[in-house]
Amino acid sequence: MGYSGVRGGQEAIAAAERLVQESRFGGRSAWLELDQITERLGLGVDRVMGEAGLWAPELAARAVRQAHGDLLEAAQLLRAHRSTLPRFGYSLPVGPAELRAVRRVSPAHRNPPGGQVLGRTTDYTPRILDLTPEERARPRRAPGPPGAPAAAPARRPRGDRPDADAGLRAAGLLPDRRTGDDPEPYDITRAPARPGTPRSARLSALARAETGSLTHLWYSCSRAPRPGGHEIPLELRRGRLPLRVAHPHTGRPVTVAGVRVTEARTVRPTARPRPDGTRFDAGYGLCYGENEPKALAMAGLDLLVHRDPHTDRLEQKVLIALDGPEASGFLEHLKLPHYVDFRSTVERVRAVRVGAGAGR
Amino acid sequence: MTAQLTTELAGPPPSPGIFDELSKREIRRAMLSGIAIPGYQVPFGSREMPVARGWGSGGLQATLSLVGEDSRLKVIDQGEDAGVNASNLRRLVAAHAGCTEETDTRSADIIQSRHRIPEQPLRDGQVLVLQVPGAEPLAGIVRDMDEQRRMHAEADYSKMWVRLYEDIVHNGLITEAAGYPVLVEGRYIMTPSPIPRWDVPKMNDSEAITVLSAGREKRIFAVPPHTRVVPLTFDDRPFEVERTPGAACRLCGSQDTYIVQEPGPDGTFSAWVCSDTDFCRRRRTGDAPAAPAAGGTAQGGTA
Repeated sequence: MGYSGVRGGQEAIAAAERLVQESRFGGRSAWLELDQITERLGLGVDRVMGEAGLWAPELAARAVRQAHGDLLEAAQLLRAHRSTLPRFGYSLPVGPAELRAVRRVSPAHRNPPGGQVLGRTTDYTPRILDLTPEERARPRRAPGPPGAPAAAPARRPRGDRPDADAGLRAAGLLPDRRTGDDPEPYDITRAPARPGTPRSARLSALARAETGSLTHLWYSCSRAPRPGGHEIPLELRRGRLPLRVAHPHTGRPVTVAGVRVTEARTVRPTARPRPDGTRFDAGYGLCYGENEPKALAMAGLDLLVHRDPHTDRLEQKVLIALDGPEASGFLEHLKLPHYVDFRSTVERVRAVRVGAGAGR
Repeated sequence: MTAQLTTELAGPPPSPGIFDELSKREIRRAMLSGIAIPGYQVPFGSREMPVARGWGSGGLQATLSLVGEDSRLKVIDQGEDAGVNASNLRRLVAAHAGCTEETDTRSADIIQSRHRIPEQPLRDGQVLVLQVPGAEPLAGIVRDMDEQRRMHAEADYSKMWVRLYEDIVHNGLITEAAGYPVLVEGRYIMTPSPIPRWDVPKMNDSEAITVLSAGREKRIFAVPPHTRVVPLTFDDRPFEVERTPGAACRLCGSQDTYIVQEPGPDGTFSAWVCSDTDFCRRRRTGDAPAAPAAGGTAQGGTA
């Protein structure tokens, strides 16, 4: 079948892969263990899980390591892995009231019911590059007894989610965007998200969005003047949610895992009262892991799309343009050969010139 | 239990590792919908593949859903079997499905291609899978996806015709190069994927099934056999394919195939060579038809 002619490409690929293997497994440094990645580079791992739409810390750590630290590439690897898994069921819905918060700040209130819990954050740590010499930095790591956390959480924030907004809602100022019915969420991995799809599609698309793209879109929206006052988050929380499934035999809910999430709720005043009399629009953001900018940007964009989906085609952008693997894949596909269409393009450009008397 | 359940629903998996059998079944249903409504873009739950978006993830899903162990698979990029991208996709599918790798267009059951339709006229029973980077022919005319869908639904293509007319007014001719818009069976305007205009007439009344799959944009569309596929143009503007007078393939000497430029002996782009390497090789050994598919002879459709 004359196969010798197709060897060239395969040999080049094999050689390229050998070079990649050398940089993955070569060098003099120690093998990078998965727990080092999940423990020391946890924010990167969280980001990859969020953008891949798969909660699997150890697999995400593998992806980060295989991708040489390229988080977008790691998300692509994890998503491709996700495609190999058949889907047999859905977890049971879980309410935000069940979130066990380890951090909770409420910028809109001085002292909200339940209190402010700063938690682990670098928000107020001076951004100074730590230049401690390596030999002095290393012993700082004091290993505690195995299995026990270095410092137990001081206390659980008082009450599982006291409703800080009850007052606003009772006064009829804050809309309740929860719907009374309980529709199945729109699964954007099984049907494409397009303008006009339900809010659940938008929230999923935002939760899987690339953090940088999300930050950029929120930023460009915030810089453009918009009617109404500016945005103030009611609450930002980080914590753990239980993952429950119905037991296949008994049908009773069983908690099978815990998932760390970041949640944000935000409001913007409206210039004129809504038909229901409310004076604020509300937005919601929830994403995997520890990713506060993502949850905040998500809530801000959910609010803006709800307010006006059509200006700047914002709804379309949120649904279509924020996906990391899609954007980076399409950008990088420019490296593929394009000489067939280039010849076609050159032919048209020449034809226009000839038609215009070669002087154009 | 899981394995049993999928086997019951979708047949035994050839091998694990790319995507599951239930998903393949979903892709096949989308392809059947596309064949039932020629040129209509069927939305589907495009899965992530072991290749990045934009690198043939749509074509790969279609091909993987079609191949079996007894299939003969040809993969080309820019018409060439040997390119790095074609080689990569071919080895991926062959390793997953255990199908036979093929380069001779005549013997292939499934041909996955990027940017070309082979010169060898396709026959009944073959499936051509084209990779599609941008599925929406109206994307350059209206940006709003709702409006694009409305225009397709109502066959309201007046803006497309105005665009082509304006092109003639500004440039003296229609400047669409690769991916020239076509009207399928008198109903839907479709992009034929970025194939050169040279290949567009081959889609008309083809013996084979053409499946066009856009993984990133999550749409599949198809042209069943013996379907009218007509490039959009006006009565007094014949559809023009790429022709360079006097140019011929430096290897097989043909002037009736799609050729691309190559460095000549002087080191500049002065030579030409066939982009379809299989057809060129067979031409040189006398194993190819003298007249390939009818490039450039078709007349354009009219408003």
